[in-house]
Amino acid sequence: MAAFVLRRVLLMIPTLWVIATLTFFLMRLAPGGPFLAEKDIPPAAKAQLEKAYGLDRPLGQQYLSFLTHAARLDFGPSYKFPARQVREIIFEAFPVSLELGLWALLFATLIGVPIGVIAAVKQNSGADFAAMAAALAGVSIPNFVLGPALVLGLSLTLFLFPPALWEGPQSRILPVLTLSTAYVAYIARLTRGGMLEVLRQDYIRTARAKGLPERKVVFKHALKLGILPVVSYLGPAMARIVMGSIVVETLFAIPGLGRHLVNGAFNRDYTLVLGVVLFYAAFLMTLNLVVDIAYTRLDPRVELS
Amino acid sequence: MQRIALVLLATLALACAPHASAVRQTSSTGPRYFGDVTPPVGNVLTFTNGAEPERIDPGVISGQPDGRVARAIFEGLTTPDPRTMEPQPGLAYRWEISADGRTYTFHLRPGLVWSDGSALTAQDFLWSWRRVLAPETASRSAGLLFPIDHAQAFNEGKLENGMQLGLAAPDDSTFVVRLAAPTSYFLFLTQYYTFLPVPRRVIEKYGARWTNPGNIVSNGPFLLDKWRQGDRFEFVRNPRYWDAQSVKLDRVVALSVDDINTCTNLYKAGVADWNTSGNIPSQFIPYMRDFADFRAEPYQGVYFYSINLTRKPFDNPWVRRALAYAVDRETICRDLLKGARDPWGDLAPYGYPGYVNPPGQTFDPARARACLARAGYPQGRGFPRFAILFNTSEDHRRIAEAVQAMWKNVLGIDVTLANEEWGSYLQDATALHYDIARRSWIGDYLDPNSFLACFRTGDGNNRTGFADARYDAMLDRAATELDPGRRMAILAQAETFLLDQAPVIPIYRYRTSELVKPYVRGLYPTPLDTHPLKGVWIDHDWNRAPAVARR
Repeated sequence: MAAFVLRRVLLMIPTLWVIATLTFFLMRLAPGGPFLAEKDIPPAAKAQLEKAYGLDRPLGQQYLSFLTHAARLDFGPSYKFPARQVREIIFEAFPVSLELGLWALLFATLIGVPIGVIAAVKQNSGADFAAMAAALAGVSIPNFVLGPALVLGLSLTLFLFPPALWEGPQSRILPVLTLSTAYVAYIARLTRGGMLEVLRQDYIRTARAKGLPERKVVFKHALKLGILPVVSYLGPAMARIVMGSIVVETLFAIPGLGRHLVNGAFNRDYTLVLGVVLFYAAFLMTLNLVVDIAYTRLDPRVELS
Repeated sequence: MQRIALVLLATLALACAPHASAVRQTSSTGPRYFGDVTPPVGNVLTFTNGAEPERIDPGVISGQPDGRVARAIFEGLTTPDPRTMEPQPGLAYRWEISADGRTYTFHLRPGLVWSDGSALTAQDFLWSWRRVLAPETASRSAGLLFPIDHAQAFNEGKLENGMQLGLAAPDDSTFVVRLAAPTSYFLFLTQYYTFLPVPRRVIEKYGARWTNPGNIVSNGPFLLDKWRQGDRFEFVRNPRYWDAQSVKLDRVVALSVDDINTCTNLYKAGVADWNTSGNIPSQFIPYMRDFADFRAEPYQGVYFYSINLTRKPFDNPWVRRALAYAVDRETICRDLLKGARDPWGDLAPYGYPGYVNPPGQTFDPARARACLARAGYPQGRGFPRFAILFNTSEDHRRIAEAVQAMWKNVLGIDVTLANEEWGSYLQDATALHYDIARRSWIGDYLDPNSFLACFRTGDGNNRTGFADARYDAMLDRAATELDPGRRMAILAQAETFLLDQAPVIPIYRYRTSELVKPYVRGLYPTPLDTHPLKGVWIDHDWNRAPAVARR
């Protein structure tokens, strides 16, 4: 187990290096630069800025300097927000994205799993069809449609919630609903599929033959394995929901990390983009590792090797 | 699991309770307002400031959101009148201008202090202005200080040090500025954010981080209290401000919101009291005009098409004239933009004090065809295909499509559209990698020079390749003309010449588009979209009928 974890952690290093290198050169290939604006910058001023940021040095040198600093988690100051270090920006914005993602995922799981179980147990019934139709709709509605619709209805017409910002519990509701709907639907479908497969297994038949009540069969024995597809999905879903909240963060003016990634790319904020991309990559790999470990806890047939 | 569900449900129920501002105040008669009109609790003004300001250091910033923050916390020699933008005494309580118009002597108010209690003197202005011009500061706005003697040479690194600059502080309360040439709009400049004084000690101590809360020291009506990136700036009143008793608001909140739909939503829900200009989706503007709290005032910005003279056949003025006369601005503004913008055939926007705009470019299909024939392309025959470059935006696309159709219909020439994201667009526009490009320009000060100077030979904002000694000479002549009337006449001549040479095709003039709650007082529409917050207050009784009417 320890050896497995250690090996996986060590494997992250070359992966991160490849990602860092690709991002570094792709950013530099993009036309324009961090100091271009609609209002001209005098050539002397531009030269000064480039010197201050080391952009006047050969690209290879810049790359090496970036790597050595990145290894110490130092990405330097942001180009667009020079009053701040990239590290500070990430550490301030990430907890916001994480909180939003955790709420959304928790909500999605608490709603999605029961729906999936009911649909599986009552397979091909009216409840099953209704649940799966709702799930299909949930997956299909993009959040840039759902979000404004929720704002219009619940915020601007009924005045139940603030239309945006990230202050107080009320402000969490609409973004969490918007972000989680697609995941509710997906988790419900995954649960249903997993449960249907498990319910046909021999050990379930054995449990029923033993005379266990159906409730116990479903929730104690079947759900434990039936939920495995959901567990394996939760890792990437966690990463996706935290990183993929860009639209929701923009829509609700939430000071999260996703907005920085997108705006950073538009602004050619080289340091900010590199910092955020590497941070996300490390986050994703860590989550995958956690999921693999969780697997062994749930399914004794899975072994780490 | 069940317990978690219960907790979650309880949280949901709690959160579903209507939030404070949900109490509606609507009147069935009288003016209609867009959304909630309940004043906030206390003397707090909340406004949407647009995208997060990149920096708030007055000497280096160049955007509206950045400027709103800087102006709230700093004050300069002169300060704009909240209605007319005319220069009023700020930190300088009086000034003298020499007979040749080249020397300005400012007298500072006695006892001025920074927010940390240290004295603010003429030396602070001298240091701050020199800092903006110093090449190592790399300020984008340094060009605004070029009227000062030797400023341009110093900024371009041609002077050893700043000692030769036309700036002097003979004593703590006197600041003398020597200009290279008389500049009639100089007092407008001194209230621009680039000219605000900044605290030397703090900047030398913290470097780029001097503007962070905790570090920053300022001198304006408000102080920076909180900053959360991507969320908000919060300001509180500055007790050490020289005119602190005139400041009415206790707190100001500037929300950093990227999405303009979200800005408008925040205003409608009553979270924001003021939706600053430009933060309303353009397709909503025709609908907004029915509301009493919507303001659309002429604004000194012009949207134009820029022609790349370094590419053939655009080096030929007859080709450029043909393109210019074939653009029907009226139709674009009326049918496409639903009157949200004003058609405009001039470069300098209307309304500069003492300036009479020339007739400008007009829509004249017959003349356009004649010009094209004269250029050697009768009925557009043999005209090479070219592209209109614009940055990603639905409005830019629609306008480009309309112009594309006009050039096809009137001139019989084929045009393609080239859409690029912001960074690539800027790169191509700056490097002259385009045929025709959408551009816009917002004036920095109330004078046509703010627009006309862009098209001097080699100016960084020229971006057309237009280089004409006759034009440069006219601007030079205007710069040294002492008589204001004659100076404006020369500038009008220059503008006429430029529009005839047509390196640019102006399309429309901007209007501000802001929403201001009826209970916000002291916030007036201005042509510069600059709003001093010093005199702004919240009228909690705005909706109460006047005493006479009640009786």
